[in-house]
Amino acid sequence: MMTIHEFQEKLLSEAVNANFKEAEIFYKKTESFQCMIFEGEIDTYETSVEGGLGFRGLHNGKMGYAYTEKIEEASIPFLIESAIANADVLDEDDGTDIFEGSDSYNDHGFYSEELANIPTAEKIELIKSIEKKVLAYDPRITTVNYCVLQEFSEDRMMANNKGLSLNEKKNGILVFISAVVKEGDEMKTGMTFEMTRDYQSLDADRIAKEVAEEALSHLGEKSIPTKKYPVIMRYDAAASLLATFTAIFSAENTQKDQSLLKGKVGTEIASSVFTLIDDPFHAESIMGANFDGEGVATKKQTIVSNGKLETLLHNRKTAKKDGVETTGHAHKESYKGTLSVAPINLYIAPGVKSKQELIESVEEGVLITDLAGLHSGASTISGDFSVAATGFYIKDGKVASPVKQMTIAGNYYEYMKNIVETGSDLEFAPGGFGSPSLLVKELSVTVD
Amino acid sequence: MIKQSIIENVIEVALSTGGDFAEVFVEDRYANTLALQDNKIERSISGRDFGIGIRIFSGLQNVYTYTTDFSEEGLIKAAKKAALAIKGGGSGTIHPLQKEIIKPIHTIAQMPQTVKHAGRAAVMKKANDIARNYDERIQQVGLRYIDEEQNILIANSEGKFVEDTRVYSRLAIQATASDGVELQTGFYGPGAHAGFEFIENLDLDYYAGEAARIAVTMLEADECPSGKFPVIIDNEFGGVIFHEACGHGLEATSVAKNNSVFANRIGEKVAPDIVTYIDDGTLPNEWGSLNIDDEGEKTRKNILIEDGILKGYLIDKFNARRMNAEATGSSRRESYRFNPTSRMTNTYIAPGKSKPEDIIASTENGIYAKYMGGGSVNPATGDYNFAVSEAYLVKNGKIDRPVRGATLIGNGAKTLQKVDMVGNNLAHGAGMCGSISGSLPVNVGQPMIRVSEITVGGTKGE
Repeated sequence: MMTIHEFQEKLLSEAVNANFKEAEIFYKKTESFQCMIFEGEIDTYETSVEGGLGFRGLHNGKMGYAYTEKIEEASIPFLIESAIANADVLDEDDGTDIFEGSDSYNDHGFYSEELANIPTAEKIELIKSIEKKVLAYDPRITTVNYCVLQEFSEDRMMANNKGLSLNEKKNGILVFISAVVKEGDEMKTGMTFEMTRDYQSLDADRIAKEVAEEALSHLGEKSIPTKKYPVIMRYDAAASLLATFTAIFSAENTQKDQSLLKGKVGTEIASSVFTLIDDPFHAESIMGANFDGEGVATKKQTIVSNGKLETLLHNRKTAKKDGVETTGHAHKESYKGTLSVAPINLYIAPGVKSKQELIESVEEGVLITDLAGLHSGASTISGDFSVAATGFYIKDGKVASPVKQMTIAGNYYEYMKNIVETGSDLEFAPGGFGSPSLLVKELSVTVD
Repeated sequence: MIKQSIIENVIEVALSTGGDFAEVFVEDRYANTLALQDNKIERSISGRDFGIGIRIFSGLQNVYTYTTDFSEEGLIKAAKKAALAIKGGGSGTIHPLQKEIIKPIHTIAQMPQTVKHAGRAAVMKKANDIARNYDERIQQVGLRYIDEEQNILIANSEGKFVEDTRVYSRLAIQATASDGVELQTGFYGPGAHAGFEFIENLDLDYYAGEAARIAVTMLEADECPSGKFPVIIDNEFGGVIFHEACGHGLEATSVAKNNSVFANRIGEKVAPDIVTYIDDGTLPNEWGSLNIDDEGEKTRKNILIEDGILKGYLIDKFNARRMNAEATGSSRRESYRFNPTSRMTNTYIAPGKSKPEDIIASTENGIYAKYMGGGSVNPATGDYNFAVSEAYLVKNGKIDRPVRGATLIGNGAKTLQKVDMVGNNLAHGAGMCGSISGSLPVNVGQPMIRVSEITVGGTKGE
């Protein structure tokens, strides 16, 4: 087997021989460990080491892509021939070129040696103890249907024939727990996850209590009339809705008439309490990057400032088209993809009131704690959403009861305008999306 | 793909610490993805995935490891590391590998790797033109073409040694319509376990035309009323409701641990007599079909519910141990990156006796769901949700105005009980199903069905 460096050098030089004017490689290697516990035993135990290489290059003015996970001599002609064929079929100059590099890069650390050095056995004990504590918490808890610990570390590297060479290391740990509770005929689940680079912050008692309380809180469901209610979207539900609608902030989508934010930069698109920030270095998220998928240095940026759209998300190609600077949002999830546009750690800026204070301010309304079916029930093109929701009825400033299965429906463009208040409880979800709890003027709520 | 002697050594190392079963899965996959938008082919990428998964069981312990390092040294290292996670137990017996030749049920006429991009691009452009010419309000068309050739090798300590090639082809069409203020979309994504012949023979007028027609129809649609209604779900992709509502609950993945409402209920009446529910991985060239599953077992026709009685589950080798049952040829994984588990293939409701026109004519005030979007389910509780991408009101036995934003919610076990009419027009639709062992091609199918009551969520009040 060739080393990755031998492979990379040979590939770049062969590319030049095959008339690629510019060429780039993107390499990612990931190691991971995952363990699932069921009734005190290890149910599944998984480890992996994987790596792959993406190649792209300008051939006759067009950008061809190819990738391989088999790092061997024979893959070089495959990559070159495939990239040429892929460049040839494109109907136009891709409008981009390979980047020579930013003047300077932030040197933020995304890797914890301490986390990497904690023995696996200790991590397994932690996840086992969480399951035990959840089951012991309350007799109504029947099973822990997911009790999972995941750990990863990855190396990301980019190099091109214009002299750019970048690399970055990242790691993190995730704990995901879901419990099933039963009382009479009623069956409910509750889940929680934690993601961190700080192993010491994983407190088994706190996590067990959180998931148990979450599951138990849904017992005793009641129906409420179907109508429009003021809604508090809890931080996690609000973050998942933001994640779903992120595509509307992409310049790639406005340029293709797939987002209604086309031509809206500089105008009010949301209520004055809505501020949206992308911060690649935010301490609360385990995502993050010092450079984007094209090698552009990343930076903290305000996308929406007190309701005004300051900028769309750009890579170098969309920026060129709109006559602006790239915002460093070229997205390359893996060596397998072509470039797109996406944020890194996108979050809604927190306000001052606690979730409790938001609840106290509502005479009659609904608190939403989870949304399901976002992949199919939400259209990023129209902004319409109609999705299944889990939550509680609020009466006279108090949580009165869990609500039977419901749907909430609205339009995300309207929703952004109808945010009355943002809470102080900002939290990040695993994909790098964050939000505090939000009080929304009204949404259609249908109850089973 | 990997020398047999290396595989034998890996199995031996895998069982060296007391495991009772070991398996090696090798995958070599070629894929092409092209995208068209703004009348142009604007993305095209090809690649090769290559990796090896090693699985070891010891009683109810399941250890899995995978790697892209295909050197013998790298594989032995991975197997050793995985074996260290096995605690105690006896030593597993290793049977000599016996090569098994699979007679393919799903014949492929034109392997994707023999097709030039020009052929792919021509089909995409034709579909684009059809959708754009459908109506002047169509302002954007996005097409995605995907083909894949997945070569697999499965070998295990029971002596199994089998290889197979799976070929997938799909064309996904999305049309966007605009009236100057709003944007609405329509989607159709036919796919098959077949080669380029499937794409070349596609009725593009129909599929691209439908995507465009849905987008334009939804532009004209009213807001969907909310409340409880009889719901008529059309055939083909409409089957997604039972995929979510009961298919997932019949997978051993949740049944084995009693995390399903259908656990321990074989022989019980779970649906009306008119409901028979089947998972069949052998349907020729269907999107969810396979010659063998990802444990090397031949796929088969599994009757899950027969005339309303629960008959069986979808079971993989590992969960079979917990359930004390036989595997059903239903073990699947997206790639070597996933530990396989029981999953659906082509799941459908068998045809009934009602004519579609009679189902509509006998419905006074309800919702007709012509095309479904996707959905999801909580397998533990059976609570499901899904989106309707094209819906109509039904009034006095006639299809009335189109409505949009309809979401159906309910509980799978309860919805199943409320099926009161089953049509005679069974058809299958292609989709992707995401679960613990990754995202997989599956077919969902059914004839037209009526459910006497489902909660419909919409933006308009009752």
